[in-house]
Amino acid sequence: MKMNPVYKREMMVSSRSMRLPLIITAFNSILAVVALLNMYSNVVQVRMTADVQYGSFLDLYRFVATIEFIMLMFIMPAITAGTISGERERRTLDLMLTTGLKSRDIVAGKLGAAFITMFLVVISSFPVFALVLVYGGITARNVLFMMICFVAAAFFAGSLGICCSSLFKRSTMATAASYAVLALTVAGTFAANSFAYSMEKMSWSQSGYTMGMMGEQTVNSGGVFYTLLVNPAVTFLMILQGKTGVLAGGVLEMYGARSSNLILDHWALVSIGVQILFSAVFVGIAVKMVRKKGIGRNA
Amino acid sequence: MLEIRGLEKKFGKYQVLSGLDMTVPEGSLYGFVGPNGAGKTTTIKIMVGLLKPDGGSIRLGGEDAAAGGWERHIGYVPDFFGVYDNLKVWEYMEFFAACYGIEGRSARKRCSALLEQIGLEDKTEFYVDGLSKGMQQRLCLARALIHDPELLILDEPMAGLDPRTRFDFKEMLKELRDQGKTIVMSSHVLSELSELCTDVGIIDQGKMALTGNIRDILSQVNSSNPIVISLFGGGTDRALNILKSHPYVHTITVKEQDIVVRFTGDEQDEAVLLQQLVDSGLLVSSFTREQGSLESLFMQITGRDEERTVLKYENESGL
Repeated sequence: MKMNPVYKREMMVSSRSMRLPLIITAFNSILAVVALLNMYSNVVQVRMTADVQYGSFLDLYRFVATIEFIMLMFIMPAITAGTISGERERRTLDLMLTTGLKSRDIVAGKLGAAFITMFLVVISSFPVFALVLVYGGITARNVLFMMICFVAAAFFAGSLGICCSSLFKRSTMATAASYAVLALTVAGTFAANSFAYSMEKMSWSQSGYTMGMMGEQTVNSGGVFYTLLVNPAVTFLMILQGKTGVLAGGVLEMYGARSSNLILDHWALVSIGVQILFSAVFVGIAVKMVRKKGIGRNA
Repeated sequence: MLEIRGLEKKFGKYQVLSGLDMTVPEGSLYGFVGPNGAGKTTTIKIMVGLLKPDGGSIRLGGEDAAAGGWERHIGYVPDFFGVYDNLKVWEYMEFFAACYGIEGRSARKRCSALLEQIGLEDKTEFYVDGLSKGMQQRLCLARALIHDPELLILDEPMAGLDPRTRFDFKEMLKELRDQGKTIVMSSHVLSELSELCTDVGIIDQGKMALTGNIRDILSQVNSSNPIVISLFGGGTDRALNILKSHPYVHTITVKEQDIVVRFTGDEQDEAVLLQQLVDSGLLVSSFTREQGSLESLFMQITGRDEERTVLKYENESGL
């Protein structure tokens, strides 16, 4: 089987670069510091109070997983946002496009290399992540679900980065756009739901009902709620809290109560599916735009 | 070999190509020249598949470009060298070989032969971004030849090279031409093109202003150029009497020691005229027809409107 030449070259070049060792070192150092500080504070607390709070050991899992998720969301666009625009800046994209190489081969090679880099970073964090298993309370199923969530989030952020990279001529612009869209996806969907929920509550108050009378059961953020399906942070928080469906409680309760349906019952799985679908759309746009001129490029 | 008919391309409101026709004969080294903004690079980008034309057709060996698979027949050397960091010469070549689907032993063999041909066989372990501009351009040529294309398209390949490297590069192109490759090359250095090329096309304002075999074009230009006669020891009046009575002499201008004659006869008529002057006892120290150059022709075509009118007149009169 022939290996994608772009992927092969990217891997060869990244193996020589100091970037990957630096990312792995920084990533694991931050994780290790957070994990060790958490363990230390638990030990100090036990020494001082002679009271063992087993619940606080679970904080280690929460801290480590949260830090890992945040770093994934930050690192992945940084890796991918310069891939296509970087080729444009070096003026090597035209050379590749005049060969038999298809746009989809270029995008697949770039995304594959970025994904493998991220995978390597995640795998390298396993020893630190394994610390959460020392005290118990976390099952292998929890960890597996969390890894699936990480992979989906990395794919989402990575494909968003490569999409922006194909749209913009300059890598700096592509990186800024990737973070802006990612921030809009994460913070924007929360903000939209908060706004919709507040408006709905206000509407109920104005119509003479009090929340205590009948509003609690039906007041919610409406259809805007489903925009949260595309938000990787929501999926992560739900899996972190050990929930798979909205009705089981968790972070999404703050936008009002809802009646059961297929999406709400299997929120984590559906949201991962939606995010993968969006990632595929981003990749599709990138493939389409590789042959087009980047924004700001002269004729 | 390559036939372009009615090529059209517009960027916004700006019409870059307006019905460009171009024929590149098989095995020729075709010089593609034109002033800045005439549409050279756009035409080249369409030829190599980086831009889609708004109209017209391109055929290579009878095969339509729109049918696809076209890139396998073309090698492209742009006016820049795309540099990859942390990639060695050998890996650079193998990467592009893989892009064309050439891998394994055949790729290694082909890369090795090409690097030897361009004289970089001892630089295989060097990083491409560390090579000199001349070496990078040679490597770029080797890259374009990796899939053994029938047609090689070079856009300003010698821009920014020092005289020694230019010479080496020209020698490589001559070698490729002799091997039977069809080469289209754009350049602003017209003296180099007239030295190298077998055919030429001058594009102006998105249209082909003049195209054909370079020798034919230059010989036609030469035949319309004046003859300059220099006499030793006087006798200008006697010479003028002979010239005035000659049927092929149209205008005579005396410039210091020289007599400039607009003469429409062929080479034999020129020889007869020279014989007449010598037989009349004049000491003719020089009798030469001014040599036309691609540069003067280019200036005529792409120059001011009055010059364009002159060219039109000359074309109509059989140039």
